[in-house]
Amino acid sequence: MTALALALLLPWVVGVVLLLADGRRKLVGWAAVAGLLANLGALIWLAVRVLPDGEQTIVTGGWTDGVGIVLRADALGVVFALLSSLVVLAALVHEVLEGVRSRTFPALVVLLATGLTGLFLTGDVFNFYVFFELAMIAAYVLTAYGDDRHQLGAALIFAVVNLVGSFLFLIAVAATYHVTGTLEMSEVAARMADVEPNAAILIAVTFFVAFGTKLGLFPFHFWLPAVYAGTRPAVAAILSGALANIGAYGLLRFGAGLLPNELELGSTVLIVIGSSSVIYGALLAVSRRDPAEMLAYSAIGQAGYVLVALGVGGPIGLAAAVLYAILNALSKALLFLSGALRGALVAAAFAVGALSLAGMPPAAGFLGKLQLFRTGVEEGSVALIVLLFCGGALSFVYAFQLYQHEFWRGDRVAVGTDSEKGVPAEPSGVAVRAVSVVLALLVLGLGIWPEPLLSLSADAAAVLHGGAVR
Amino acid sequence: MSVLTEAIARLLLAPALMVAGAILVKGYVDVGDGFSAAVIVTLAVALQYLVLGARRTEEEIPLLRFAPRAAIAGLLIALASGFFPLLFGDPLFSHEPGPGKRPIHVGRLELMTPVLFDVGVFLLVAGALIALIHHLAEPPELEEEGHPAPAAASPAAPAAREEASR
Amino acid sequence: MTLIFAIAAGVVFGAGAFLVLTNDLVRVVAGMVLISQSAVLVVISSGLTRGDAPILPTGDKTPSDPLVQAMALTAIVIGLAVTALLLAIVARVRATLRSLEVRELARDEAEHTAELEQSLDTMHEQLASDEAKEEQ
Repeated sequence: MTALALALLLPWVVGVVLLLADGRRKLVGWAAVAGLLANLGALIWLAVRVLPDGEQTIVTGGWTDGVGIVLRADALGVVFALLSSLVVLAALVHEVLEGVRSRTFPALVVLLATGLTGLFLTGDVFNFYVFFELAMIAAYVLTAYGDDRHQLGAALIFAVVNLVGSFLFLIAVAATYHVTGTLEMSEVAARMADVEPNAAILIAVTFFVAFGTKLGLFPFHFWLPAVYAGTRPAVAAILSGALANIGAYGLLRFGAGLLPNELELGSTVLIVIGSSSVIYGALLAVSRRDPAEMLAYSAIGQAGYVLVALGVGGPIGLAAAVLYAILNALSKALLFLSGALRGALVAAAFAVGALSLAGMPPAAGFLGKLQLFRTGVEEGSVALIVLLFCGGALSFVYAFQLYQHEFWRGDRVAVGTDSEKGVPAEPSGVAVRAVSVVLALLVLGLGIWPEPLLSLSADAAAVLHGGAVR
Repeated sequence: MSVLTEAIARLLLAPALMVAGAILVKGYVDVGDGFSAAVIVTLAVALQYLVLGARRTEEEIPLLRFAPRAAIAGLLIALASGFFPLLFGDPLFSHEPGPGKRPIHVGRLELMTPVLFDVGVFLLVAGALIALIHHLAEPPELEEEGHPAPAAASPAAPAAREEASR
Repeated sequence: MTLIFAIAAGVVFGAGAFLVLTNDLVRVVAGMVLISQSAVLVVISSGLTRGDAPILPTGDKTPSDPLVQAMALTAIVIGLAVTALLLAIVARVRATLRSLEVRELARDEAEHTAELEQSLDTMHEQLASDEAKEEQ
């Protein structure tokens, strides 16, 4: 219980206090890193307790169940919280080493991590919305971060589109409360079965649209490329590696956890939307030349895989969705961070990320693709396997196109308006490169020794279908 | 702005503050809370900004400079009064003195930790809103560097309201 | 009653959506405010019950649902924070572009993208010519 409260309290206090300080100073940046480390430490402590012994719950104010707000840490929430915290930490360390450019950057990153931790560890639908909005507001400000004034337009579009998504989510929460009379997730799940099917489907669709917007799925993706392409690499890494997890987690928790019947009903739709997302993202990624834009379109495609796995459903499909979301977040963060650097070993780190994205062994992304193939085989659908294969092949093409553009040509060629011609940049600092290399080693390590990750994702998925592991 | 509006705006400030104080304190016996008190204070201050302009208002009420710091202090107070039961191993957001025990009375005011929480919310909301008005009253100059502070202050606001509202 | 609320929320949401699609950035922000208010309306309508004040139920009547008010208040505050944020971004857009029009914003972005593409093109050409030289 203490770990759960501390994981929330520590980054919150640190983030708020840091708002006062000038974030451009190194010391403040490192204080923020310390805050995130504390958060990560508390989460690991929590994970060590939760994974073997099952979920932990706090009901605020010592009220009886159903009255107080419930904070609940189960395997699924803890896994996503750990992942997001890790990605945010890596991005923050990267940016602090590179030099922070804005007063509020470290504080905002820590507050974003607070919001993410809170929403992954809450057992209350409305509380989820509140923490979600905390994380999103921090993200809106972060996208406007940087020197590029052209970024403002993207930030505005990002904010407006995602706010509409948030309010749709709020409307769906209110509707859920109206039909079930409770906000506690497990209660909602229990009572949802008796709700009139039409209302339940409407609620499920609204939730789907809200999370699809966050995740940047195919029909709701239009804001995504401009935002990812224009921000600083650290912010892009946070957006794609941590914030996009909200979408994946939300679809899993609300779809498979709270509305399983509606999920099953809409499984064909989900698979179709997911497949079009995969193909659309991959095709456009191949056609792009700006690395950041290429990665942005690839993010749309990768989100599609999660949706396909979710649509297939069942223990294997859900475990694959969790696993794929984890691996995708790690490799995307790695690619965005290392893509901005130059020097020894960075190219290798980037290559690991690219391999992982393309799903080639020994990088960890291979596991994700493998699990997806397994779901395809399980489903017995040839079309699905062909789709997965095509998507994988295309992602291989763009990942290495990217690698070639970025590293093969030798000197770094800075992209941007100010570089009319290629300007060879100096190799980045050793410490910054080390961050990317550590992330790369993590991705590689998970690929070589996959058992912990596999059992982790199976545990997390077991929370949703409530069944036996594997 | 006519002389009349200016006079009224000046006259309204003190009563508005008093009403806000009353609403803040009344919250535990009657209708009221830190949030509405803060909104009333902010409305009174906003009227000053409208009538006198940003510069003169801030000259006349130098306290307004501390608005962002008040917001942060308020959020910390609110967090502290929500999370302190952790020290005693009680569930979060329990209050002291607990249910059934007699709180300390000062006149008709009952002193217990939720009052502290509402004071925190009051400071947070008033501080954040006044900082916002300050920045919107003097929008950033053309091509000026620097981040708009209201944007920085706002993530804190929903967070604290989350506890306040239930 | 629920029907009236539903119609009101729908109208407010529609008006908000209309404003978001206009050319004026301030109207876009106003549209977002309206959309957030329609969400608040839905929240209120989700638990409309008549009854005693829930703080001190007398026992004659069932108390009304207190949760709705708390949720609506929270939603309003979040809407407020979000409005502040949007206004801050719009103020910055005005400061940098000297305009409050969505079209201007889009034009600026399109120009920027074109510049970027061009710089990429020249970069690729140069790299190609470098390679050609090396081969010779």
